[in-house]
Amino acid sequence: MVFNSLDFFIFLFIVFVLYWLLFKNHVKIQNIFLLVVSYIFYGWWDWRFLSLILLSTTVDYFVGIMIDFNTKKNKRKLWLWVSVLFNVGLLGFFKYYNFFVDSWIDMFSMLGYHIKSTWTLKVILPVGISFYTFQTMSYSFDIYYNKLKPTKDFLSFAAFVSFFPQLVAGPIERASNLLSQIINKRTFSYDQSVNGLKLILWGLFKKVVIADSLAPIVDDIFANYSTYSASTLILGVTLFSFQVYGDFSGYSDIAIGTAKLFGIELKSNFKFPNFSRNVAEYWQRWHVSLSTWFRHYVYIPLGGSRVSKLKSVRNIIIIFLVSGFWHGANWTFIFWGAFHALAFIPVFLMGRNTIYKNSVVGENSLFPSFIEIGQVLLTFSIVTFSRIFFRSESITDAFEFIKRILSNFTYEVYNHPMGYRMVDYYILIALFVLYEYRIRKDERAPFKFKSKIVRFIVYTIVILGMLLFYDSNIDRSFIYFQF
Amino acid sequence: MKKLFLKTAVYAILILIALEVIVRVFHLAKDNPSRFVDKYKVEKWVPNQEGYSVTGNRRQNFSKFYINNSGYNSYREFTPSEEKIEIALVGDSFIEGFHQNYYNSIGKKIEKRLAGIEVYEYGYAGYDLADQLHLISVYKETFDKIDHIVLGLKFENDLLRDKYQVVQDRMHLESPLYKKARKIKLLVYTQNIGILQPLWKLAGRLMSIGKKRKKEPEKVITKEDIEAKHLTYIKNFKSLIDLYGYDKERFVFLLDTKITPQLFLDYLHDNSFKYIDMHPPLNASKLPTTLIYDRHWNNHGREIIAEIIADYIKE
Repeated sequence: MVFNSLDFFIFLFIVFVLYWLLFKNHVKIQNIFLLVVSYIFYGWWDWRFLSLILLSTTVDYFVGIMIDFNTKKNKRKLWLWVSVLFNVGLLGFFKYYNFFVDSWIDMFSMLGYHIKSTWTLKVILPVGISFYTFQTMSYSFDIYYNKLKPTKDFLSFAAFVSFFPQLVAGPIERASNLLSQIINKRTFSYDQSVNGLKLILWGLFKKVVIADSLAPIVDDIFANYSTYSASTLILGVTLFSFQVYGDFSGYSDIAIGTAKLFGIELKSNFKFPNFSRNVAEYWQRWHVSLSTWFRHYVYIPLGGSRVSKLKSVRNIIIIFLVSGFWHGANWTFIFWGAFHALAFIPVFLMGRNTIYKNSVVGENSLFPSFIEIGQVLLTFSIVTFSRIFFRSESITDAFEFIKRILSNFTYEVYNHPMGYRMVDYYILIALFVLYEYRIRKDERAPFKFKSKIVRFIVYTIVILGMLLFYDSNIDRSFIYFQF
Repeated sequence: MKKLFLKTAVYAILILIALEVIVRVFHLAKDNPSRFVDKYKVEKWVPNQEGYSVTGNRRQNFSKFYINNSGYNSYREFTPSEEKIEIALVGDSFIEGFHQNYYNSIGKKIEKRLAGIEVYEYGYAGYDLADQLHLISVYKETFDKIDHIVLGLKFENDLLRDKYQVVQDRMHLESPLYKKARKIKLLVYTQNIGILQPLWKLAGRLMSIGKKRKKEPEKVITKEDIEAKHLTYIKNFKSLIDLYGYDKERFVFLLDTKITPQLFLDYLHDNSFKYIDMHPPLNASKLPTTLIYDRHWNNHGREIIAEIIADYIKE
């Protein structure tokens, strides 16, 4: 059941009404209900993988209790390792096993030994496994670091792990934020629900209008890159930047909006990353829940930036490589991570990695300054270039793509694969960027207008946009589901 | 919660009204002309209607149609006489030509090539050979005055039946419910772009709850099955010709030999049925001959068709 389907909206309506009408006075029953509907939501894809969620939930529930129960550091660490090994093992088997086997065989082939692969397995990647395993691990980490007390309420914990709005593609929540909300009584808030509906609408717009309408163009250019000139390849990767942003941030907005309908506040996952002024700021704005996870549970335990410069650089490289690898079992993602590490390190060494932490572009003015425009364009170009690795099927394709840009530096007019007017898409992107700039100060309030009439006009335009760019023939699944 | 539902409903209604206005102002939805069955049981458009045919979410193809006194999309009235030379084009939506302005139709293009000749386009979406021959037979007096009659024929679609009957499915579209629904332009638009498909699918799923569904095994179509089907179509062809008559001197088929079985082409040849093959010129064209959004001919495709018909008449 995907967020942009009719099935989901019928499901959401029924669950919302039952949740507030029948169970509003009993938090325990509300949580049991949340758990059941979350399992139904997940089982809609493949009920067999529910067992994995249940297993991961059970392991971390007991690990949490055992870490807290033991006072000796060694024993606490041992239990933490149980959680880490179990969850990483789960990920390793379902997501990375074949990658390691193939890489091993490729390495031997390069050395002249040809091995016939008999070890690769036909394993389906369970949807959302990278997200919920990280979420349950964060629970064990937080207890280990004494930032959280374990819960004795298994059902509430299970509801925390499987909370359906963010189960399959995040935001990856920390127990200190989500579990505490699940354990405590929620009360219906009109304003919170309205804000939730607004976020759902905005998320749908980004998904249907931006991501889905650009998908056929991007697919065409990346599939046939060897036949296109540099201008078209640059167009393809630029549009992919908008596609992946629309797709993933759209998903996150719908998730956050849906959670609001149930009285739960999830953390923001995207804070207008396209307006970042350097790569460090970009990582404070893009997939924030994952960056935060890596910062808290990998970067800081490694010493973070409180160690020598050299060690800090090592830590940066590690988290970017791990982050790349988290995205998928492919060298393309590892190169993507490595590229970002290379782009981040100079910013870090210059001490400019946190200077934009609490400000946005054009902070105190209507328009950005020329310097800011330059910074934003440069950052966007760097990030977009890295996406060649992110989007290419293989590392060879990625390098061929880059080589073709450099060696065939010519301009040609690109025609839409289905014959649509390309100008429609250019206008769309321009308007989208302008609108996002207008709302850049608050990612949780996409329709912040004082005038009711203006707000109504914007709603109408957003829905009209969805009609104008809706295409019944394209695959409407979310890109980050594959991770 | 009541307030939430109430306000959402009010907003939803207001937005729907606003969208209806936008769809009308920018003419995003197509106009659906009314159809009827005349006294000779010929299905056609109600005369003297005009409107716009629209394709695509963003009005990517936009053209005007005009239904003449005879009930067909044409810029001219059909007034055949012994003195003039006339050509009738009889066929389905390709001849009907809602995808191009009615004053720039195939007929008009032929007339430009053949001075002094009048071309009458009896095109109607969904017409098969049974429709075409029935039309010609019941309007015999009219068609007898027309010098050349070109019948569009697609073997796979147009020979499914051996006698004419009014297609009730199409006429259901003229029921009061459909007519009222068509007045809501937003509904027409959303239906055309496919956004309502999941809703209809869901309705179908709900309707079939409790009903036992028989799972029929997927049938593998063999070469023998295809041959048997082709033989049935040829049998239907013969029945239609016997039933409604066919003037081999004046009548000619317009077909694409690439998608017509050789067996049928041989039959036409052996029995002196003339045909114009549109495949070679369409295939040789360097420019696209069909529209982007559907397979109907675009302006260039129509130019080619007009040219081959004009060349045939000249010969």
